[in-house]
Amino acid sequence: MRRILYIEDDLEIGSWVKEDLEHRGFEIQWLKSGDGSEKIVANHDLVILDVMLPGLDGFTVGQRLKKEAPQIPILMLSARTAVDDKLQGLQFADDYLTKPFHPDELAARIEVLLRRSGLSLSNELHLGHIQVNLSENTFIDQRTGEEIILTGKQYQIFMHFLRHPNQILTKEQIYESVWGEPYLEGDKTLMVHIRYLREKIEINPGTPEIIETIRGIGYRVKQ
Amino acid sequence: MKLKNSLLNQYLLIIFLAIIILPISFFLISILFYTQFSGTEEPNKYQNGIDLESMWQAEAQSLTGATDEQIAERLKQLQTEYSEATMYWVDETGQTKYKLPENATVPSSWSPSHTIDFMKKNRGSSVDPFTVVALIGEQKEEGFMVMQVPRSAMETTGNSLADKYNYWIMPSVAVVLTIFIFISWIFFSRIRKRLLRLRQAMSSPAENGIPDQISVFKKDEIGQLEIEFNEMIHQLESSRLREKEEETLRRQLIANLSHDLRTPLTTIRGHAFSLKKEALSEKGKESLDLIDSKINYLGQLIENLLSYTLLTSGKYPYNPKKTDIVRLVKTSFAAWYPVFENRGFQMDVEFPEKTFRWDIDSQWMERILDNFFQNINRHAMEGKYIGVKVDVVQEQIIIADHGPGMSGKSAGKGAGIGLSIVSLMLKDMKLHWDIQTGETGTIIRISRKEQS
Repeated sequence: MRRILYIEDDLEIGSWVKEDLEHRGFEIQWLKSGDGSEKIVANHDLVILDVMLPGLDGFTVGQRLKKEAPQIPILMLSARTAVDDKLQGLQFADDYLTKPFHPDELAARIEVLLRRSGLSLSNELHLGHIQVNLSENTFIDQRTGEEIILTGKQYQIFMHFLRHPNQILTKEQIYESVWGEPYLEGDKTLMVHIRYLREKIEINPGTPEIIETIRGIGYRVKQ
Repeated sequence: MKLKNSLLNQYLLIIFLAIIILPISFFLISILFYTQFSGTEEPNKYQNGIDLESMWQAEAQSLTGATDEQIAERLKQLQTEYSEATMYWVDETGQTKYKLPENATVPSSWSPSHTIDFMKKNRGSSVDPFTVVALIGEQKEEGFMVMQVPRSAMETTGNSLADKYNYWIMPSVAVVLTIFIFISWIFFSRIRKRLLRLRQAMSSPAENGIPDQISVFKKDEIGQLEIEFNEMIHQLESSRLREKEEETLRRQLIANLSHDLRTPLTTIRGHAFSLKKEALSEKGKESLDLIDSKINYLGQLIENLLSYTLLTSGKYPYNPKKTDIVRLVKTSFAAWYPVFENRGFQMDVEFPEKTFRWDIDSQWMERILDNFFQNINRHAMEGKYIGVKVDVVQEQIIIADHGPGMSGKSAGKGAGIGLSIVSLMLKDMKLHWDIQTGETGTIIRISRKEQS
């Protein structure tokens, strides 16, 4: 069971979100203010935090929670959209969603955040013929049952795709998050790595199905 | 008004003193002069002819019955006393007996006619030399004695003083005038200095753009001006502070307004979402979808409205940086790609390897691009086409669609606040945009201003 700490002062929204998320299989602890949240944060896998709260505002509460439990992702949920607020929120929060949000989007983002911290609902993922076991970091070709061994960079690139499912990633974005340094114009390193990666995981590397090329923009892995 | 508090009165005093001091200075200098010189100089013993004459007569009287030797002796004594004078003695027979100095030109014998001629010639107050003739003896028959003093020796002490006075008076007056000019100059240069200080204070603003207050030393007209200046600075500072407070209040208001509008929208969406899970007819589901899309629309409208308010009042945060345009547009479009993909759009993208940079706020640019993509998603569905291209050669961004054009009818058309925001933002970033729109599509080009 994945436990979510939900801090929201609006009763209507609070009860609706709580109900909806519980429906989706999360265990929700709902607080009406930030008081006492620091003590219980460690028992949860994720925090959903409203900005406008009675007493301490969401930014302050969030920063304290991050200090208390840095590994637990925080999703800010706010009706304030000013760019300043967004930037202030993202200084410590892992994601920022503005009201009126769609419950499906909220759920999707929760999934992404949990997966990023390794707490996805299922530790197993199926991409075409590849079975990914996230807890053991193994990739198994289901046709043969054999494990696919990836090099360090290939693994990092593939994991980056898995952490950003259905998202189109430009080669600059992938390069900079995997290599950790600025992408230089015309650098072909990433393309070469992706070609080798495809040779290992695609059935037919010439017409890739898992790592999709979005012409002119980048790559995408659909889940 | 007190004297020290009024420059006008001070100046009037200087002028008044100047007018008074000219006559007074003549007077003062005279007094000074006379007390200075007349005390030190002996009065000239030749200056008074009457004194000389009475002295000479008295001497002649006192020589009554004197021997020749006694007379000569006395004359010699007198000569030593009146060294300037020529003296001689003629006896009763008309013979010149004795003369001092020895080389004086005196006839040796005096005939009656010669004597009368001599007397005639030497009469009057202007004849030079001044001549005194005195008959010796009580009976006036013992001859006569003559004293002649050159007029030049008879100058009075006053006369010589007057000459000196005439010589000194002009420089003295000049000195007095110079002192007056000097005082005037000091007076005005001090005024000038203070005015310059004031100007300096006005023209050198502190960090907040408002000049510093200046310290006031005097309470005259300039001092009052300085006080007024300080008062003005004070008001300026407090109004600046008020403005800042108002701005904070305004931002707060906008943020709160946004919050207060969005919270009920979220609730509505929540209820709509809950309703959707109930058993509903197709029509009911359609209605709920419509409600959902309208909630989205309202949310964006609120956002746009607030952004527009901030933008027009120049309060929207703007942080320009050198930005890689190809990358920015590519990343921005990547987020929209799935939307267009799901709707079956034909996507024609062109992002070259080479790039160029503009000095812009990337958040603003993303917002602008989002607005264009959003518009195409909403209003250009029919064309099923989107073209996104970055032209490195001409440094421009081109976004095209095959929709019905901006003048065409579309279901979700609003008041165009989104495009107003785009227009404002592009203008602030010194970018130029150009729209070609018709029934078969729209092409938007964004380029640098100077290239247009």
